[in-house]
Amino acid sequence: MGLLRYTLWRLAQAIPVLIGIITITFFLANQIPGDPVEIMLGPSPAQEQVEAIRARYGLDRPAYQRFLTYLAGVATGDLGQSIYYDRPVLEMILLRLPVTLYLTVSAFIFAIVTAIPLGVISAKRRNKPADHVSRIVSLIGVSTPSFWIGLMLIIVFAFYLGWFPARGLPLPWASPADIRGAETQLQVVRTSLYHLAMPMVALGTLQMAQITRIERSSMVESLQGEYVKLARAYGVSESKIVRKHAFQVAQLPVITIVGLGLSTALGGAVLTETVFEIQGMGRLIITAINNQDYELIMGTTFMFGVAFVIGVIITDVAYAYIDPRVAYGDES
Amino acid sequence: MTEPLLSVRDLKTQFFTEDGTVRAVDGISFDVYEGEIVGLVGESGAGKSVATSSILRLVDSPGEIVGGEIEFKGETIFGLEEGDAGELRPRDEMLTETQMRKRIRGREIAIIFQDPMESLNPVFTVGGQLREFIEINRDLDPAEAKEEAIDMLREVGIPAPESRYDEYPHQFSGGMRQRVLIAMALACQPDLIIADEPTTALDVTVEGEILEMVTALQEKYDTSFIWVTHDMSVVAEICDRVNVMYLGEIIEQAEVDDLFYDTKHPYTSALLDSMPRPDKTVDELRPIEGVMPEAINPPSGCRFHSRCPEAREVCREVHPDLRDLSDEGEATHTGACVKHDAFDVGYGDSPAIETETGSGFSAGLTETGGEAE
Repeated sequence: MGLLRYTLWRLAQAIPVLIGIITITFFLANQIPGDPVEIMLGPSPAQEQVEAIRARYGLDRPAYQRFLTYLAGVATGDLGQSIYYDRPVLEMILLRLPVTLYLTVSAFIFAIVTAIPLGVISAKRRNKPADHVSRIVSLIGVSTPSFWIGLMLIIVFAFYLGWFPARGLPLPWASPADIRGAETQLQVVRTSLYHLAMPMVALGTLQMAQITRIERSSMVESLQGEYVKLARAYGVSESKIVRKHAFQVAQLPVITIVGLGLSTALGGAVLTETVFEIQGMGRLIITAINNQDYELIMGTTFMFGVAFVIGVIITDVAYAYIDPRVAYGDES
Repeated sequence: MTEPLLSVRDLKTQFFTEDGTVRAVDGISFDVYEGEIVGLVGESGAGKSVATSSILRLVDSPGEIVGGEIEFKGETIFGLEEGDAGELRPRDEMLTETQMRKRIRGREIAIIFQDPMESLNPVFTVGGQLREFIEINRDLDPAEAKEEAIDMLREVGIPAPESRYDEYPHQFSGGMRQRVLIAMALACQPDLIIADEPTTALDVTVEGEILEMVTALQEKYDTSFIWVTHDMSVVAEICDRVNVMYLGEIIEQAEVDDLFYDTKHPYTSALLDSMPRPDKTVDELRPIEGVMPEAINPPSGCRFHSRCPEAREVCREVHPDLRDLSDEGEATHTGACVKHDAFDVGYGDSPAIETETGSGFSAGLTETGGEAE
């Protein structure tokens, strides 16, 4: 019961944060030198044409008025009109967001599934060969940019070996008619997974490395805890100590890193999508910035903000779920 | 007397560090008989806790038991023999690691740690932890173990044990957590409980309650205890026999009354002088001067000589062993100090040496030290 109320409370707290994000983005975006209309119409356009377009997108009104209009729009789910695509911003985002989520979530699953066993083994065999290997791998992973990993993967596995396709990312639930060479849904899923493999590894490696490192240090600390000594002194088997007694305590810092990593990964998705030519949110935001498409910049940034806030809330709730010491706030 | 429950002979535990070998426990011997509370006393760093973890064979790396024998109820917890090539190897009858885990730890010898705040796992309920250990060590199914756990919580004086069973450690006070740890030890029905400074982290009133409770429960269950402490007043309250440790060695062994009223070793006297006693009125308490030297490079001769108010030249040269200093009859009181007649090394003729107690001050100390004899 407490957990549900706590979740709702945290969601309510997110509202002022989001308003803050909108405010800052709005005024920053408007401060960028240059003019979307000029970009749109090319050099030396006719004055009437410029004014017509300005009026159409409301750019002729003062900033504070436009801001209030925008805020009211967001409240009702209207993120405005993209100048560049000439379509509603929300429509553009809903078109691209699933691709990015598909990529990011897969990268995270890949990261967690590989990092946690690696970190635990590393901690268990501290300062032994397995530990050294895992530490070197994670050090390389932390210090290698995701786009470079992506390029290397393309060179090796797409160009030389030809095992995986290097471009695009069809969604597994796309209609078979839209995917070349696919007739059944199963084939769509297979094609999608083939396309997913390399961008997932490219994006997930940084997360994997970070989680491995924190998992290792957290487990090392936990394994030295008094409660582990106690469990040993009461005849609990070593494997159960690792799996249960030490493991659960050690996950607390890991959850923090995973939660914060969610937003880092979205940022990383921008680069990964560029390298693999994936039509996701990352590409959308780049297009928006290149064309000074105010509404689209604000819309996409807002969505990243929402994702960040959701990541933090998931972290907090997971923390409260695992650690009984976290007060739910309604107790005081 | 009958066979001891636990017999430790010449136990040596060393830590192999980069700076050298730390001889944390350096040849101690003591027995624990059925139903008695045996004290293990000394300052921090004397090797008390290492001695107790050696008994469970749970010495943390880089520490290792390097010699001696530990027998418990006829089983060999630790014992070495000389191999064909003259190397030392574990004896055949020495329990394996698995046997230690399954037959000794928790089931036969349970432990209560010093810090109740850290010893319980913060992410599991108190009842769950209790139940798990009871299940493992008494072969009960979960429902029976839960019942047993609740009974035990009631026994150690935790109010409303049924509802507190599902609470987490952070919802318990320090004293209550220590009660939980005591319940844990007793619930596994071991023959021996090692209490490693269990009341040190608690305030004095809670300490008093816990000691009272332990004394009562000890009589009820007839469990033997090894009670590790640096606090002589705790010793006076609950111990039957006492071993005083200094720098990895036992320097005095006696029944509790003899230790207090017929103190043989200056270190024991110093420990006694540093605590308030209801039976003696003193103007001020005297702390023991200086700090315990490092066990990595113990002083020559008597290890206490650098801090001893009664030290003489001979103390620097002769390393005293533990000898019988009882007045008559059975050897119930042993000590390791050359000032006694049992050591014929010329203490009387040896000149006094300056120690950390300071020259001006030492005269006064020596005077009262003599009085205590």
